Amino acid sequence: MPKIENPLLLSLYSKVVDQVLSETNNIDEANRRLRDIGREVGSQIYLTTDIVDRTKDTITTREDVSKLVEIIFRVLYDKKPTLVDMETARGSVRVTDESCIWCQDVHLEGMAGFGYCEVFSGILESLLAFKGVEAKVFQEMCRATGADSCEWNIRLQ
Amino acid sequence: MAGDLERALSKLRTDNQVLGYSLMTKVGRPFISFSFPGDIFPRVKDSIKLYKSDLRLMTIDTEKGLVVLSPVDANWILTVLYIHELQLGVAIAKTKNVLRLLEGIELPPPPEDFEDSAEANLQVLQSIAIKAASTAPGASEAVMTSPQAKSLPSVAPAPKAAIEKQSPSPDDFYVLPTTIPKKGETHSNALSLDSVLCSEMKKVYRNFGFDVLMLVDGSRTVTQIAESMFQPNERVASFLKWAASKGIVALPEAKERTPEEKASPSMGRFVKCPLFEGDLSKVKSEDVPILKLCDGSRTPEKIAEETGSPQVRVIQVLALYRRLGLKMIGKAV
Repeated sequence: MPKIENPLLLSLYSKVVDQVLSETNNIDEANRRLRDIGREVGSQIYLTTDIVDRTKDTITTREDVSKLVEIIFRVLYDKKPTLVDMETARGSVRVTDESCIWCQDVHLEGMAGFGYCEVFSGILESLLAFKGVEAKVFQEMCRATGADSCEWNIRLQ
Repeated sequence: MAGDLERALSKLRTDNQVLGYSLMTKVGRPFISFSFPGDIFPRVKDSIKLYKSDLRLMTIDTEKGLVVLSPVDANWILTVLYIHELQLGVAIAKTKNVLRLLEGIELPPPPEDFEDSAEANLQVLQSIAIKAASTAPGASEAVMTSPQAKSLPSVAPAPKAAIEKQSPSPDDFYVLPTTIPKKGETHSNALSLDSVLCSEMKKVYRNFGFDVLMLVDGSRTVTQIAESMFQPNERVASFLKWAASKGIVALPEAKERTPEEKASPSMGRFVKCPLFEGDLSKVKSEDVPILKLCDGSRTPEKIAEETGSPQVRVIQVLALYRRLGLKMIGKAV
């Protein structure tokens, strides 16, 4: 039996994904819908957690963004992201998680480009916006569709 | 050669921050120029003379603007005049971008005698290149193909026919952040300033289209292109879809999709199908009929129907064999 962390969250999220996929016409739209949901969830997370207290008032550098992402991971998942890459692209911060909580034991076929964990893109985008960072976040790779890890790209505007 | 050179230089011509440029010989004689103020040439020539073969990349702050000099090869120097307000780093980066485009073009050495900055110099350069190619052993094939680029206006009607032939709309193409766009049939035509396609592209996308096309090389992903331009993926993807509909770029993923998928934008119904790859000899005999059908193509409902078992019973069996490696495969059908 695969070891599932937080099965309640997973079951609820699986239901959300099923619902989104049944209501959308293509993968782009489904990804967008999941990001929208994430943005809405983001404000709730910002209200109910101590992210606000644990982070700097003003986020100005990519190092600050990286630190913020680490705090978000700590608060939401009680762990560190596998990698926060600030070097590869000048305008982006890439976050890698090899044990992503959202797509545990999810196997998708023929759905290349679908970001099962796009909800987290929306959450990140929303939390960054609350800290004054304008960014577009999207999932670049997903374990559910066969990648080794889940990867999000935070494109700073 | 001339077409490629023209295309590379057109990048400068269409840049609002470029006041003028000149392709100069190694001794500082202007060969091909565009809006480059004549009174700056002596100063540029002096600078070139000063550094001679040691010239790498040099900037001169003049009353007309910022001049960036950079050697293209042993015979040629590219000189670009930028507006005063432009940051030095940006000016250098812009010049380097054009130099990158010139890298793949083999420019022949300048003729011994020529008129400074004459319009016909481009053709002179081309005829030298063709002559050199025709005297080189085994080069006849290359010469046979080169006349296509001989005169830009003469090739203009052909791409027009190509545009008419292609009727897909931008929505027929599918672009993901990981998609690697390739150059399409009309790519070079879109970069030719006098083509209909170029005018159409400029009308809709202005210089943005040029910039994206310059980065389409068959190896960069949409994300990488967007990142190097500091632009959102969506904007780049939207342009690429348009460009694909005109044959300017080719999107491999779109080609790989089946005609059914292409015809319908819908991805179908999302289902989860159990897949059991374990050893059937180790499972209880009463569960075998259900597990035999767990091949990743049937839903639990379908399995229940085919085995005549209640759906609850199927779910019970599936749950039981999760620990023996049974997976649920999500897919759109």
